[in-house]
This record gives sequence, C-alpha cells and structure tokens, in this order.
Amino acid sequence: MEERRYRSASGAPITLRRRQHSASCRELAVRCPRLQLRSLSAVTSAVWLAAYGLFVLSENSMVLSAAIFVTLIGLIVYLHFVKIDQESLLVIGSLGIQVTSSYASGKESTTFIEMSQVKDVVINEAIHMQKVIYYLCILLQDLGDPQGVSEVVPLFQSSKPRLDCLIEVYKSCQEILEQRKTAPQSS
Amino acid sequence: ENSPAPLPERAIYGFALFLGSWFGFMLYLIWAYIPEPWLFSLGLTYWPQKYWAVALPAYLLVAIGIGYILLFGINMMSTAPLNSTDTITDNYAKKQQQKKLQEEAIPALRDIPISEVNRMFFLPEK
Repeated sequence: MEERRYRSASGAPITLRRRQHSASCRELAVRCPRLQLRSLSAVTSAVWLAAYGLFVLSENSMVLSAAIFVTLIGLIVYLHFVKIDQESLLVIGSLGIQVTSSYASGKESTTFIEMSQVKDVVINEAIHMQKVIYYLCILLQDLGDPQGVSEVVPLFQSSKPRLDCLIEVYKSCQEILEQRKTAPQSS
Repeated sequence: ENSPAPLPERAIYGFALFLGSWFGFMLYLIWAYIPEPWLFSLGLTYWPQKYWAVALPAYLLVAIGIGYILLFGINMMSTAPLNSTDTITDNYAKKQQQKKLQEEAIPALRDIPISEVNRMFFLPEK
C-alpha cells in the first residue's frame, strides 16, 4: 500500500494510493481535496447577502426563507451529484477493469469493463476548454477490426491528475495488461 | 503564377471599387440627410425609411460584436469531446497502407498508433 501526493491540472493537491492485491490485481485510487470550509462559507455569505439586498429592495420576507432553502438544497445536490471524493481504478488481469467514483455524500458509481473489450490503457492529450490536458483513457476494442478502436473511456475526469501521476498509473496498468499477452489463451 | 505584384487588371478593379464605394457613401449621405419633402419633389418617393439609415449601422456593429463571441462558441463546440475517437485517429490514419521496411533507409512517414507512442514515451527501455 503506497500513497503519494501529486497535483491536479488546476493545481489542487491530490493523493494517489496504490494497492497490489495479487500478482495480477492492482487498485489505484486518486483522492480529490475535500470541500473547503472557506469556500463553502464564502458562497453561503454571498447568496445570503444577495438575498438580503433583494429583501431590502422588495420588502418581501419570503426572499430570505427562499435563500436559506436554496442554500441547503444546493449544498445537498452539490455533495450528492457533483463533488467527487475519490476515483479509483481496479485492474484484474484476467477479468477486467472496474472504475469507481465516490461522491462526497457517500454515493458510489461503478463501471466494469471486461478484459476482452479492453484494447489498451493510454495517456492521451486533447483540447479541453482553452487548455491541452493529458488524461488517462481506456481504449475499447472494435469487434470487426482488430486494429480499430470503438470507444474511448476517459478516466479520472474530476480529479484530472497531472502527467507525473498519470505516468505512475499508466505503468501500473501496463504491467498487468502485458501479462495477458504472455499468458496462455484460455478458451 | 500567384504573385501579389501590381497588375493592370488589379489597378482597374481597385479604381472601380474606389469609385463605387465613394458613390455608395454619397448615396447614403443623401438618403440620410436630405429631408423627405425635397426627395419627393425630385420624384424619389419609394426610398426606404430614414429610420434604417441609423438602424442598419447599429445592427452591423452589434452583429460584429456578437460575431466574436459566436466564433469562440463555434470553436468550442467543434472541439472533439474527451471521449470521442477523433482524439485518437481519423479516416486517413485508418486507411493508410503499411509500407515495407527497407534496410538502411529512413522508415516511411506514417501515423503511429497511440499505444506505440505511449510505450515509447512512458515505459523506460530496459
């Protein structure tokens, strides 16, 4: 079990945790920074100040209650649907790859990709908004064409680690993926 | 054959455009400033409303301003998303032919698959 600190594309500190469960099974988890108290209080104060300003202009006290309601509901929705706490990748050599995202509210969303569908795990560069970023992605095999790629599954979308972290994850995955070429094909 | 040097035809086109634009500008000034009764007395009754002499430039300037934002937006919309295969390959790369490796020669130019590029960059050579 190994844990190292890196930075995300936007500069936030993230940690990478590597666990080797067996010779052909590895788990790599990237943990994003937690919700900061100062940003939460800044947003809440801004919304409540705006609501108070509206209340002074409109003399309607419903604005204040609505602001409290909006803040609470907004926080719950943000924690449950938007704020990702940890993104992990579980590579099992003979079975497949499992991608899990855990949200701040505790919700976990999992995707499993069978090993026969996986062509390769690569670091790709692409234009995102106004930047060019490196991101890790799983290339899915095209059934008709052995050289073709049918789909690209980007990984670590919310934590967006930088290249040094991606290279570590890439090397770990490649060690496992290489085993399936040398291992005898089982029918 | 396509040099930017001055030619007689280009001089003639330029002069014709110059005269045409001066004429157009004078026409615009006449339309905008000469009062309507005077135009009617000359027999020009079916010209557009003078409202447009102010409205059209205003529309044009706003359109130019929106054009900057629109172009930026179109660029962002045309960028392939992170999960599309357009970031990995395209039709030309898929259809390229494998050329035979010749001894003592530089290998032919081709689109190298991304797996190979990654191995070369990120896996240290043993």
